[in-house]
Amino acid sequence: MHRTGLSLGIHQLEHTQPSSRLNHHHHHHSTTTASTNYLHTLSSSHLSQHHQDLQIESITMNQFPHGWGRPRDDVYGAYDNSYLNESQPITHTQRPIVTGTSVLGVKFKDGVIIAADNIASYGSLARYDNVERLLQVGTHTVVGAGGDISDMQYLHLLLDNLLIKEQYPADDHQLYAPQVHTYISRVLYQRRNKFDPLWNSILTAGADPKTSEPFLSYVDLKGTTYSAPALATGYGAHLAIPILRRHVADEEAVSNLTQEDAQKLVEECMKVLWYRDARSGVKYSWAIITKDGVTTGSKEIENQSWKFAEMIKGYGAQNI
Amino acid sequence: MASSYLLPHSQPNVHPTTASQPRQHHWSPYTENGGCILGIAGKDYVIIAGDTRSSEGYSINTRTARKVYDIGSGLILGVVGMSADGEELVRKVARKIDDYKRNHDKHITVAAAAVMLSRILYQKRFFPYYCQPLLGGLDEEGVGAIYSYDYVGSFEREQSRAYGAAASLITPFLDNQINFKNQFVPGSNGEEPRPKVDLSKEQVEKIVKDAFTSAVERHIEVGDGLQLVTIVKGVRAEGEEEDEDEREKTAGGGVISEVMSDLKKD
Amino acid sequence: MTSIGTGYDLSNSVFSPDGRNFQVEYAQKAVENGPTTIGLRCKDGIILACEKLITSKLLVPGSNKRISTIDRHIGIATSGLVPDGKHFTNRAREEAISWRRNFKDSVPVASLADRMGSYAQAYTLYSSVRPFGITAILGGADDDGPALYMIEPSGMYWGYFGAATGKGRQAAKSEIEKLNPTELTLLQGVKEAARIIYVAHDDNKDKEFEIEMTWVTKDSKSATAAATGGKGMVWNGWVHEDVPKELLEEASKEAKKALEEDDEDEGETKEEKMDEDL
Repeated sequence: MHRTGLSLGIHQLEHTQPSSRLNHHHHHHSTTTASTNYLHTLSSSHLSQHHQDLQIESITMNQFPHGWGRPRDDVYGAYDNSYLNESQPITHTQRPIVTGTSVLGVKFKDGVIIAADNIASYGSLARYDNVERLLQVGTHTVVGAGGDISDMQYLHLLLDNLLIKEQYPADDHQLYAPQVHTYISRVLYQRRNKFDPLWNSILTAGADPKTSEPFLSYVDLKGTTYSAPALATGYGAHLAIPILRRHVADEEAVSNLTQEDAQKLVEECMKVLWYRDARSGVKYSWAIITKDGVTTGSKEIENQSWKFAEMIKGYGAQNI
Repeated sequence: MASSYLLPHSQPNVHPTTASQPRQHHWSPYTENGGCILGIAGKDYVIIAGDTRSSEGYSINTRTARKVYDIGSGLILGVVGMSADGEELVRKVARKIDDYKRNHDKHITVAAAAVMLSRILYQKRFFPYYCQPLLGGLDEEGVGAIYSYDYVGSFEREQSRAYGAAASLITPFLDNQINFKNQFVPGSNGEEPRPKVDLSKEQVEKIVKDAFTSAVERHIEVGDGLQLVTIVKGVRAEGEEEDEDEREKTAGGGVISEVMSDLKKD
Repeated sequence: MTSIGTGYDLSNSVFSPDGRNFQVEYAQKAVENGPTTIGLRCKDGIILACEKLITSKLLVPGSNKRISTIDRHIGIATSGLVPDGKHFTNRAREEAISWRRNFKDSVPVASLADRMGSYAQAYTLYSSVRPFGITAILGGADDDGPALYMIEPSGMYWGYFGAATGKGRQAAKSEIEKLNPTELTLLQGVKEAARIIYVAHDDNKDKEFEIEMTWVTKDSKSATAAATGGKGMVWNGWVHEDVPKELLEEASKEAKKALEEDDEDEGETKEEKMDEDL
């Protein structure tokens, strides 16, 4: 029995090696015999005099039956095998489709506050107006995502599965914000390495259940990560960050900022974004994470004033 | 032309137009996060310093990003360019240095680590890490060594090197202050070059700080904070007994320390 | 055993002339010697319990778990060959994850039981494999409330109010039959389960054992429950987790006491009887 197996192996080896060598020479025709392979390797190249002699032979009649009665390459061009190629070039996301705009995050002395509005845009169309872009991950972490909504939802699936698998060992171990942030950043960086990015900018906010130490970190579709007392994605990086940095320039400012002040600060920034970011929404979700866990809520921009618009032509109803 | 269906090659070449094809937005996996690093090797020390600003375009992402890392076995690595690639590179090198120690039961030498880093960069020759690394350590004689690299692994040991956004501003300053280029012996009428001397660590630290404060003035991507990482040969405090294990800690016997200071934030 | 020497038990998936599949029956034998394992379907959740004989003093208490979490809302207890149980558990986890991927929903207990039943059955069909040497008690809860299933090596699975398998299954079953599952609460169930494990252990008196017990509840106060899923996670609100330690200890103590009292009663009756005989 063993001998049979062994000799079969050698037999296969003898068989496959020469043919694979031929295939290597020849990539235009996939269903031909060894001898015709050789002909076409030559006739499809336009380099040597030798091959042209062969080509002329094939027009009349030659020793290669494969060519007999076939359309002449010099008249009709080489046979187009491209339809035989099973795989098409792989295409990847080249642009986001349905998108969420900014996410804001601010550290304060006992924790972090994070906020994102509920709009999902399709280009300039406010396509969905009740989308949750904040996801609680475990007891002390909230992940907020801007960018492509379907990629965000896929990421939510990954995080959900991550938590379930974390549950399997039935021990006291838990994932907190630093671990969640690292996980997301690894996923995003690996996807950019495959040229198939998850089109998101993501804030991970959390607090240490023992020390209260606030955690806030950013990661985007290229795997770029950074951390700061206040962070914002998208338009928020341009419109909200200057305001936020006025109040929380550094970690020392963080340790002096109360939760109430942090909340007010975020409200103010969300209002600025509502005024100036055309892709933003009037309703937003917020979450506060302290050592005691996560509190979430929803809010609408209050005390709006569009008085400035009266002076601007094209802004709302006015007499021309 | 009915036969054209059968004759794909005889068709005129039709270029996709914006009207017939969806516009292909070309996505780049790369980005540039600014910042600057500077490495200087001395007779018995090495310094790698970096600013702590990380930016993208005209936005400052954070003012507190470190660019110089302790990668184990008494070696340090500074990286500028795309921070995501840089951090990945640091993780990989640190991991391999750890592997080396476990496999061979000894610390890697800075020369061997230098080759290893080159190989890591070259392995990604066709999708390079978009970052410029500076490797620092003490060699087996305890002499400071800086190794500089290009994106794909070409490398050399140098006395000093500046990389990153303000490299072009700092390099000539270094030429002048470290290598005494264009300095002459007073009274020699510009004939006799000032002879090279080994600068002390304290002197070099001053030069590094000057280099960065100047770069901050002239380059928008540099600023916020200065991270200064040094390796010096482990020295016993007076009265302290010699601890063989401690002295043999790394190939060059180096001890790493870090000092943070402020740079202008505007 | 009538099968021995007939040749019909040498390969899996082969029927004997009287229509039996001996390999499957042998697998069932493997379970019959396994640890007593029970499941109770209470009105507000599920209880899974297992008698774990302490085979060595060197084992860390609470180690070598027999009951595992499949998904947030489902647990599984296996009796029989431990590695077979591990493999079966891993497959159930994959099924649960795959259900989430496909439907963005927690897998209903009945659906998971069906898939796992099919999986076990497939291992009775081919000569290259052998059946699982386990029975699995699958307990969980979904929109239709708590559900309990037992899957056997043949692939057969039925839904139960109370299920028992392993060495002490007969004693356990007759105890479970005395309960009223539609009225039983989880808290009562914990005590009953502990008592049943003790009763079923009776024949094995000299051997040390510990009770492993989990439940599926909608009203958890533990940290694991909070950690299991937050706002936005795919979760039906039920959690499979260890029964709180204090509760289990209390239940065990009561069970032990009740059993000792029973023994004393029996002792007395015996003595009385002897008196009568005299």
